[in-house]
Amino acid sequence: MSNFQLFGSIISTCLLGAASIASAAGETVQQDNTCFESRMGLSQVQQREIQPGVMNVKCSPTTGGVLFWGDPFDGTIPMGDMSVEADYSHEEAVVKPREPQIDRNKLLTICSMACHNGEYVPYPENKLARPLKMHKDIVPNSMQLKHGKGAIWCLDCHHAATRTKLIDHYGNEISFNQPQKLCGKCHGQVYRSWRNGIHGKRIGMWQKGGKKRWWTCTECHNPHDVEQGNRNSGFAQLIPEPAPVLPKGMSNADHERGHGEQAH
Amino acid sequence: MKRFIQFIIDFLRSGFSGGILFWAWMLFLSFFIMLWGYGEFVQIRDGMIVTGLNDQVSWGFYLANFVFMVGVAAAAVTVVFPAYVYKHHELHRIVVLGEMLAIAAVVMCLLFVTAHMGRPDRLWHIFPVIGIFNWPHAMLTWDVIVLTGYLVLNIIGGFYYLYKKYADTELNKTFYLSVVYIAIVWALSIHTVTAFLINTMPARPMWFHSMMPIKFITTAFAAGPSLIIIVFLLVRRFTPLKIADEAFHMLSQIIVWCLGIALFLTLSEIVTELYPSTEHSLGLQYLMFGHHGLNTLVPFFWTAMALMIGGFILLLIPKVRKNLLVLPFICLAVFIGIYIEKGMGLMLPGVTPTPIGEFAEYTPSNIEFMVVGGIWAIGFFVLTVLIKGAIGVLLGDVRYTESESRTVRGEQARAATT
Amino acid sequence: MSKQKTKEKDANGATRRDFLRKAGTYTAASLSGAAMLLSDPKPAKATANVSWAEHFQKNYRLMTDEEKQEAVERLEKRYSEEFGKKVKVGSEPALEGVLFGYALNIQKCIGCRRCVKACVAENNQSRGEKQQIEWIRVLRMEKGKFSAEDRDVHGYPEDYGIQVGGNAYKPAGVVLEGQHYYEPDQVPEKDAFYLPMQCMQCEKPPCVKVCPVRTTYRDPDGIVVIDYNWCIGCRMCIGACPYWARRFNWGEPDLPAEEMNPDTHYLGNRPRMKGVVEKCTFCVQRTRKGRWTGCVEVCPVGARKLGNLLDPESDVRKVLASKKVFRLRADLNTYPKFFYFMD
Repeated sequence: MSNFQLFGSIISTCLLGAASIASAAGETVQQDNTCFESRMGLSQVQQREIQPGVMNVKCSPTTGGVLFWGDPFDGTIPMGDMSVEADYSHEEAVVKPREPQIDRNKLLTICSMACHNGEYVPYPENKLARPLKMHKDIVPNSMQLKHGKGAIWCLDCHHAATRTKLIDHYGNEISFNQPQKLCGKCHGQVYRSWRNGIHGKRIGMWQKGGKKRWWTCTECHNPHDVEQGNRNSGFAQLIPEPAPVLPKGMSNADHERGHGEQAH
Repeated sequence: MKRFIQFIIDFLRSGFSGGILFWAWMLFLSFFIMLWGYGEFVQIRDGMIVTGLNDQVSWGFYLANFVFMVGVAAAAVTVVFPAYVYKHHELHRIVVLGEMLAIAAVVMCLLFVTAHMGRPDRLWHIFPVIGIFNWPHAMLTWDVIVLTGYLVLNIIGGFYYLYKKYADTELNKTFYLSVVYIAIVWALSIHTVTAFLINTMPARPMWFHSMMPIKFITTAFAAGPSLIIIVFLLVRRFTPLKIADEAFHMLSQIIVWCLGIALFLTLSEIVTELYPSTEHSLGLQYLMFGHHGLNTLVPFFWTAMALMIGGFILLLIPKVRKNLLVLPFICLAVFIGIYIEKGMGLMLPGVTPTPIGEFAEYTPSNIEFMVVGGIWAIGFFVLTVLIKGAIGVLLGDVRYTESESRTVRGEQARAATT
Repeated sequence: MSKQKTKEKDANGATRRDFLRKAGTYTAASLSGAAMLLSDPKPAKATANVSWAEHFQKNYRLMTDEEKQEAVERLEKRYSEEFGKKVKVGSEPALEGVLFGYALNIQKCIGCRRCVKACVAENNQSRGEKQQIEWIRVLRMEKGKFSAEDRDVHGYPEDYGIQVGGNAYKPAGVVLEGQHYYEPDQVPEKDAFYLPMQCMQCEKPPCVKVCPVRTTYRDPDGIVVIDYNWCIGCRMCIGACPYWARRFNWGEPDLPAEEMNPDTHYLGNRPRMKGVVEKCTFCVQRTRKGRWTGCVEVCPVGARKLGNLLDPESDVRKVLASKKVFRLRADLNTYPKFFYFMD
């Protein structure tokens, strides 16, 4: 009885948020001049004028992807300290905080207070995988998490008690703004590359000592779905920009699709 | 000096005199020259977007015609060389007509290049001193040098000879012969450099082989004399200038040998490319067989091959070769065959596919047809005037007289009868 | 989608018949020719404003600093009028101690073509159906489907990509043929990888060598640039480039004023005129002021890296030191400064 009640209340609290996630993912530039940077739906930018005649971003009219940053450091905060000495230490390094993106529908804060407060949903006793009835929009099947090939589960990354935070090996909280500290726990090689600037993405000034905006892990990757599926890539699929205009005199590019023996 | 000015006037007067047929011909050509003017005007106003060219096929009809005409210009040597080196008597008499043809052909070449340029208004940028002449690095600057040099050599050689004949004074043999011999070597150089222009680009594998210059020269020495034979037969038909049959036999023999070698080189190229069938042979495969349904060039290639091979076989038969009634038609076939094979048949598969593998089919636009047709008309216009003038001098009809009563005697009357 | 329609509209139908038909209409068109010669005196706005001095200026490379300043100011005035906004034309020289290098992670590229469009937004290329210029071209390469069933019956699997069918006696012809006009609903696709190409900024650029007027040259920071005002439009460079990196302004470029990027450089993204060649300059207007290029910034997967090859600490040098790197058409000895790498 109490279980049923609990379940119902969770659903009613979260449905609203889930619905708004779905609609956010479908939004493109047409509606409210919202574009996305790398991850559609989870790296949104509102288009606005930052100086007379200069927009903060220019967006693709067909896909809504950002094509141009009028100010590459718009809306960023200092990257903050990192446990390992890295190149950026003598450069100004900034990041765009992830929390507003992840929590843009207030799902994270509402759920952490209304649901995962230790009463509605008791704090889990261990990190073992078990079927979840909730969050199927993020993880369709909690027993087959598309990350870590079965070796990890939600609570290896998410703080069991403080749902607005991630967690490191020692049980310390990690901000959603600094996912690299979490991801680097396992992906050391990539983490090193990222610090060296050869993995991941940075924008701003290429020059040594120049200010750079660093992209953090979750700005490009979806940690709940990184295993290479049909797309054969660690990135979510995107709508590509339109193909070039065909050369004068050509009505189609069908000849590109034939190979080999059909050549003649 | 006065005498020289008089020569120019008399020469042109002779060149522009003729009967109704002559004026009809000139009017016919003028019509196309007007089209050229219009085409050039539109192209300069709107840019080359009025052509069928694009980034995939950025060299097309203009350069194809250019390459072919350089060959025709160089082929004047097929008249000059036997005349002077082998002392071929019959050709020696009419050698100057070959030079006139060369002048007309080079004029056409220069016009084709100008039409190909995106910014003809900036042509001065390439002039030494006032502009930058990237010599010796850029092959195009070599081409500029050899083409203008060849034009100058032919003008000097041809008109010096004609002027001396006109003034009835003795030729300075050392001067004249050195011009002639330099022009002979120079003729080879213009076509060689034109071949270097396109075969020094590894980005375009179909052109990137050392056979290109010799193939250019052999096809030129087949197509050029074909045109010369036709022109000479017309001259013989419509003017009193006598051209002996031996001259035609000599020229048709040159055609046979050069066409034979050209076909052999084509065969070698095909085997070399198609046996291993690397990606570098894609251009040739596209030309011969098409590519996934892009077949525009295929019928043109096989037509050209049929014309060239058919012409070659017929010309091998002495009876046919020496029949001056049949010969012009074979010459026309060979000329057209080589025009296709060496013009668009060389240019388009050379740039298709692009270095990064894109296939695009190109069709010249109306403007391109107008400009190209017009330049051909200009070429024939210039050729007609030059040949008529030269014949006037050769026949002795145009002659310098101390008194002002110069004579273009007989000329008008004779032309009227044609 | 509307893309499909525009493609059909673009069709001119290149057929043999066209050759003949055109030859026919040739005569008809010529009659109206003379009449048209007198009408339609529409000079493009851009060319109308070009000053006499601009027509007769020297090659940029040979200008003194004062002459460069004059040329730049002249252009700023003209562009500002033409596009109705304050346009800046930079003349920053090559940076001391810098050799630009580029590294592209071919394993990461998802083929979304965002770099292509970002490049257009940044570099003021002509756009639209009539004349579209894009400096970056992304090729889609199929990986091929392997199945053993057919092998004994039909030879090797006659499917796409790496396995192309045929055998030693019956060559299939094309190996690893790229697709330029791919348009799947979503990228990346499972059975494809993508290869973006643009100007490689070669150390021994064949395009520079063949230019008869030396309007294109390589600056000390490794960027091959073009003085658009000196180019005669002969397109030798387009023929010589093994990477198909150069584009030509066939007509007057179509650049809407509201989309025009006013932050330009004389040798880079300033608006071009008809009849001249252009190409990628590693966004010289940005990089010489220390900022990353448009394509580097916009790549949603961070596959693109640019830095100073002379600085061992730079991104590019670190890529060269730690990754597997290759260059395209290394056999041609052009020594590109554009590297591809894999993780």
